[in-house]
Amino acid sequence: MASKQESVYQIFSFQDCKSSPDPIFELPAQCLTPKPVPIVIDNGSFQTRAGWAAPAAEFDSPLLLFRSVAARSRGAARSETQIGNDIPNLEPLRWLLKSQFDRNVAVNFEIQELMFDYVFTHLGISSEGSVAHPIVLTEAPCNPLHCRQMMSELLFECYRVPYVSYGVDSLYSFYHNNTRRKLQPPHTGIILSSGYHCSHILPVINGRFDAVNCKRVNVAGSQAASYLQRLLQLKYPGHLAAITLSRVEELLHEHSYTAVDYHEELEKWRSPEFYEREVHRMQLPFSGKLPGGCVSVEERQERRAQQLRRLQEINARRREEKLLQDQERLDRLMAVQELLEDGLLDQFHKSLVELNMDSAEELQSYINKLQLAVEQGRQKLLHSDGTEGKPEVSELEQPMDEGDGVALMDPDFSEDTLPEKPANVVQPVFNVAEYHQLFVGTERLRCPEILFQPSPTGEDQMGLMETLQYVLARYTPEQQEALVSNVFLTGGNMQYPGMKERVERELLAMRPFQSHFKVTIASRPTLDAWYGARDWALEHPLSGEGGAAEGWISRQEYEEKGGEYLSEHCASNRPFILNGHQRNDLKSSSGNILYYYINVI
Amino acid sequence: MASQIPITARAQPAAASSAALRGKKRPGSLAVSAAQQATGSSSSSKKKKGQLTATPTIQTQITGVELVAEVKAMGTVDCGPIAITESTAKPPPFKDPTFMHSGIGGAAAGKKNRTWKNLKQILALERTLPWKLNDPNYYSIDAPPSLKPPKKYSDISGLPANYTDPQTKLRFTSSEEFSYIRLLPTDVVTGYLALRKATCIVP
Repeated sequence: MASKQESVYQIFSFQDCKSSPDPIFELPAQCLTPKPVPIVIDNGSFQTRAGWAAPAAEFDSPLLLFRSVAARSRGAARSETQIGNDIPNLEPLRWLLKSQFDRNVAVNFEIQELMFDYVFTHLGISSEGSVAHPIVLTEAPCNPLHCRQMMSELLFECYRVPYVSYGVDSLYSFYHNNTRRKLQPPHTGIILSSGYHCSHILPVINGRFDAVNCKRVNVAGSQAASYLQRLLQLKYPGHLAAITLSRVEELLHEHSYTAVDYHEELEKWRSPEFYEREVHRMQLPFSGKLPGGCVSVEERQERRAQQLRRLQEINARRREEKLLQDQERLDRLMAVQELLEDGLLDQFHKSLVELNMDSAEELQSYINKLQLAVEQGRQKLLHSDGTEGKPEVSELEQPMDEGDGVALMDPDFSEDTLPEKPANVVQPVFNVAEYHQLFVGTERLRCPEILFQPSPTGEDQMGLMETLQYVLARYTPEQQEALVSNVFLTGGNMQYPGMKERVERELLAMRPFQSHFKVTIASRPTLDAWYGARDWALEHPLSGEGGAAEGWISRQEYEEKGGEYLSEHCASNRPFILNGHQRNDLKSSSGNILYYYINVI
Repeated sequence: MASQIPITARAQPAAASSAALRGKKRPGSLAVSAAQQATGSSSSSKKKKGQLTATPTIQTQITGVELVAEVKAMGTVDCGPIAITESTAKPPPFKDPTFMHSGIGGAAAGKKNRTWKNLKQILALERTLPWKLNDPNYYSIDAPPSLKPPKKYSDISGLPANYTDPQTKLRFTSSEEFSYIRLLPTDVVTGYLALRKATCIVP
């Protein structure tokens, strides 16, 4: 009997959002008087978020949110750099996109300068010669000293900022959420933060970031995106250009999830009914490119053979010409040599000068070389006449028909399969809509999984939970208990559905039997770093007398102590401490002696 | 004369908005001569444009002045072409205009060292500093290689793979996948292997 169930196909289309340019905000009066309000910039490798740290409600969220990319072309259009949201669609300019980041560290300070210009211009700053506001900036955990020095130099010398504070974004997010949950300081916990380029495990003990024991896994959002892109491009070689990085990121943000139990989830995907229900069919816009084109296989082979034959003819002709030339030259040289043998020395010398040679030996060596070349040329001609140059047809590759490929995945899968390659040139009829659909099945699951198991991408580092286990093993059991009672997830890459449950499950597996732990995820994983930095700035205002409060670096301190100087606070890195050395290569541009000092955690 | 216009048009910067700051650097003479040549309605913007065409060479000054007259005569709206020698956007006022990055080695290393150091180079330099054994730096907080053997998943479907194709070295779970693999073109096969970083360099 006919079953009434309609298989529900989940067909989605790509949204391909375009970003609209940011407005240039008016500088609010309360941000200048009585004291300049700090600007909080969360400098992320994916997105930059910037805003004011003022208590008023209208400044409660970052005013500027843009991708940290600049589209910079070479040559005449160099000055027309577009930054962030000025670029409506990233894809056409993909090759021009540059970011100041290399992994999660800022290394290219020209582009960083462009970013700062953008931020300050759009925040409405128009003061002459300096930016009068203190800046709170985020940096990577254990940021290299060189990078901090260059950043300080940029801020203090180019923008003449009065005070700067550096902090780690995940730590700001941690403190923000702890205050929201009303936990009492000093806070202890372990932070799992996963951004765009790296994921970190950051233990915090009694309010201080324990940098010695933190670890970084180089797998995060961008690796997942490029993995997904390659998977889809290999599965659908006909749609290579349509599978763009922006679309792939959209797939990750909207259509992917983390399995709580990876193997169990995979077993579910084996069944065809589950597959049909759960596969997301992404409808690509119609492109007019048909599989195989209008040319049949044999015609393509013929064409290639023809091209090969033509190339061979051209090569043969070129070889003959060269052979003729060489022979001519050889004859000339032989004639000159005969002159020598005949004893006509003057003429010989004159001809030598004409030929640009110095002595008889040189002449002889040239003659030998040419004779060799002529011999080789003749040999090659003989060979090429002999063998008829088989066209390398064995190298020809036919792209797979889409239908065959997908049908082989699940044999019970009923869809319009594309017919086999036609023996004649009759154009087969097939479902155009189906051809332009990407079936995203297990990929929804596999790509977020690389955070926990980096091996499918070839990374041999530990996954996130294994690294967590490794970090925890470095502490005493009491410390472990304390750390694990506040496991905090933050970062844009933690936003997959199911991430929190997965971490809880894995933690259950690795902790001792019936021990207690608690996992929380940030309320707004991408933005909480900015909010945390803003809270910090509001709680640590600068005193009016110009003395630097804790956590801020003043211009004077920068000039005395150099670029790597870092003023510690609850959410900052640990400064690097050496004993009284002057390092020439790390001199700040003001040329002062750098002070290093010892610190032990 | 008409043929001159496209060439000299390039020397004429576009927006009058850039006029404000730049005006102070430009010699006043050109503005005066431009004013003399101007006939009829000479808007202030056009005068400023005349100022702005003052590039160091006298040649372009003259042609600029001519152009101003030409343009007025033609009545074209000239906006768009960017000056070769100067950018249209004025530098933001809050910056120090004489600032030069020291890292790019512009002054120190001369013409050779124009590029920024990438992360690898920075880390290599940093490792030469006298760190103590336990000091955290960017390199030392890298996670170690995994202690557990990696699980094998099919390259095509991602399901747990028990089998490997000896010819292509791809992993698969079922016989249908195997037939699919055997029909794949070589570039796709290499792509899957490269994704896993399992490509063999030696052929």
